[in-house]
Amino acid sequence: MLSIKHIVKQYAAHRALDDVSLEIEKGKIFGLLGPNGAGKTSLIRIITQITAPDSGEVIFNGQRLNSDHISQIGYLPEERGLYKKMEIGEQVLYLARLKGLSTAEATRRVKYWFEKLEMGSWWNKKVEDLSKGMQQKVQFVATVLHNPELIILDEPFSGFDPVNADIIKNEILELNKQGATFIFSTHRMESVEELCDNIALIHRSKKILDGSVAEIKEQYRNNTYWVEYQGAYNTDLSADLFEVVQREEVKGKTILKVLLKEGRTANQLLAALLPVVAIHRLDEVIPTMNDIFIDQVKQKN
Amino acid sequence: MNKILLIIQREYLSRVKKKSFIIMTFLTPLIFAGFYALAIYFSIQGVKGTFNKIAVVNDNKTLTEKLTSKQNYGYTYVNKSLTAMKAELKKTDFDYILYLPEFPLDQPHGIQLLGTKQAGMALNNKVSDEIENLIRTQKLKENGISQQDLDKLISNVDIDTKKINENGQDEDSSAGASTILAFTSGVLMFLFIMMYGIQVMRGVIEEKTNRIIEVMISSVKPFQLMMGKILGIALVGLTQFILWIVLTISISTVVMKVFVDKKDIQQLTASTTVKGGKASVKEGTVQPKMENNAGEAIKADSPLKTIQKSMASLDVTKIITVFIFFFISGYLFYSSLYAAIGSAVDNETETQQFMMPVMLPLFLGYMLSLSVITNDPYGNMAFWLSMIPFTSPIAMMVRLPYGVPNWQLALSMALLVIGFIGTVWVASRIYRVGILMYGKKASFKEMIKWFTYKN
Repeated sequence: MLSIKHIVKQYAAHRALDDVSLEIEKGKIFGLLGPNGAGKTSLIRIITQITAPDSGEVIFNGQRLNSDHISQIGYLPEERGLYKKMEIGEQVLYLARLKGLSTAEATRRVKYWFEKLEMGSWWNKKVEDLSKGMQQKVQFVATVLHNPELIILDEPFSGFDPVNADIIKNEILELNKQGATFIFSTHRMESVEELCDNIALIHRSKKILDGSVAEIKEQYRNNTYWVEYQGAYNTDLSADLFEVVQREEVKGKTILKVLLKEGRTANQLLAALLPVVAIHRLDEVIPTMNDIFIDQVKQKN
Repeated sequence: MNKILLIIQREYLSRVKKKSFIIMTFLTPLIFAGFYALAIYFSIQGVKGTFNKIAVVNDNKTLTEKLTSKQNYGYTYVNKSLTAMKAELKKTDFDYILYLPEFPLDQPHGIQLLGTKQAGMALNNKVSDEIENLIRTQKLKENGISQQDLDKLISNVDIDTKKINENGQDEDSSAGASTILAFTSGVLMFLFIMMYGIQVMRGVIEEKTNRIIEVMISSVKPFQLMMGKILGIALVGLTQFILWIVLTISISTVVMKVFVDKKDIQQLTASTTVKGGKASVKEGTVQPKMENNAGEAIKADSPLKTIQKSMASLDVTKIITVFIFFFISGYLFYSSLYAAIGSAVDNETETQQFMMPVMLPLFLGYMLSLSVITNDPYGNMAFWLSMIPFTSPIAMMVRLPYGVPNWQLALSMALLVIGFIGTVWVASRIYRVGILMYGKKASFKEMIKWFTYKN
């Protein structure tokens, strides 16, 4: 639904985005990853039409991005806030009406969401009387209230306690099920693995990696396994089968991290061990997004 | 467009609903009305309150002319010695004793004004003036000039300032009234532009520090947000201004009706039309009667009369209309600059370095307008100050009560409109970049760079 084509954005001496292209599919949750200052926010600001690119274009549902699309996008910026002196209900209504909802429709939806997230009693409270987590909840409601097709969340879970973070996560999944597409910018890799279908990694203004989470992880598998067993096994005997990366002895058990040699399989590893020791566990080591992220960023540095 | 209206609505309502706004709006006219009522009260008190009865002990045989009673004091010639009179003073209802000893007309020495209380400067001067007059009259008479000729000599001079308008007809005007009005509207204009301009700046900073700006900017264009805020606050200013006028007038009317009774006002109005003259108060008459003076009423300046006269002679509707125009345009001119400043900084303490260059022309315009223009409302300086958009809102308001040719008024308005379109344009270019900049210490150089950014 969203194609980003060869975007370049230059700020004076600093190039924030350098020929970045992305494809975001409808109904998917897309993770936009990258270290601080990589250009994620610049890209998001272009999608939300806060700024315009120097060159390149953004296609939204087959049309070049224009101001008609504002009402179809919901954006929760990382730097977010509310009018401190304004009452919550009034404030969310105001933000919804700015997105083009009629007063009646906006009121109906605000009531629905407040009920759903147990915020009903907050209507007449002022923002300054709410805790930070409560403010975040209000902000989330304001972001999704106008039922946007594309929802962009920049660090959505910062400031939430685990309980509320879970509530928000479930709301995201539910909205996603109803067809909303998400762009999800974050540093928290565990939430990326939990939520995202696809990711792109941006580093130093360039896209260095993109694809589906499953594929990327597949790419990063390198035949490493955890083996846990009881008994004595001379690992030198099978030097042509695997290489020990890490070795630990815990309560009479041996835990090995082994890297299989080219062409060898886990079955062969088991066959070698089975006659000698009692096996408790065999796990493939699948790199976490965190590992991939760090690995990629370090490589490029 | 709809979005701008929404923003205007929010900016307006959130301010008008504030307690501080309501208090300011209702308290200020009360204070104005209070001053007005106080001024009237005191001028009435001044008229009826202090009547001094003076007993004249005349030991002078040379001076045959007699003193005549006046509005606030009456002379009564008594046939008693000074010592006797002194002893009796407390028992009589006289306030003072005027002692005229024997003296040659060339050397009037030894005159005394005695009383249980010390006679004020004003009374002392008046009495001494009158004695001087008396001596002069007597001398003239002794030199063979008849009373008739003397009467002819007396003439009251009262300058009526009139201005000839374009049609060659003269209009009533009053230098004093114009000055008061010029002063008031100049000060009001200065205060309004500054107060509401700073509110715009605060509003912008608030959105930045609250970090709501990015949420807003993803829904509306920066220009819409800036103009919505500026216009919303302009409406707040207009509301306050109109309420002040309406409330001041209605409160004053009520106060006048309740606290000041009609007779007093009539008396006040009448008294202000009386000036010395040849009041036909006979010796011994204690309280001068109004009817005695009415026949010889001559116009004179009293503060109240001046204000009343000015209200009649000056076109107040025109002044208010022009004020509203110059307030809105001048406010737009300055508040967009304030908005640009607000967008460039992270908090209010950082605004200092930018405030100076914006405040300076406004302040200069204010100072020069009130000093130079009130002295020479038609001079070159006045003309240029009222043309340059930086100073014209104040300068033109100060010039207006003295009369400004229509072409100058139109030119000044046109220049100001061009001016504010210019500042709004410049400001919106700085604003759109500035609002998204955090932690960067803004400088003028930086702002110029922002200005030149392509979208």
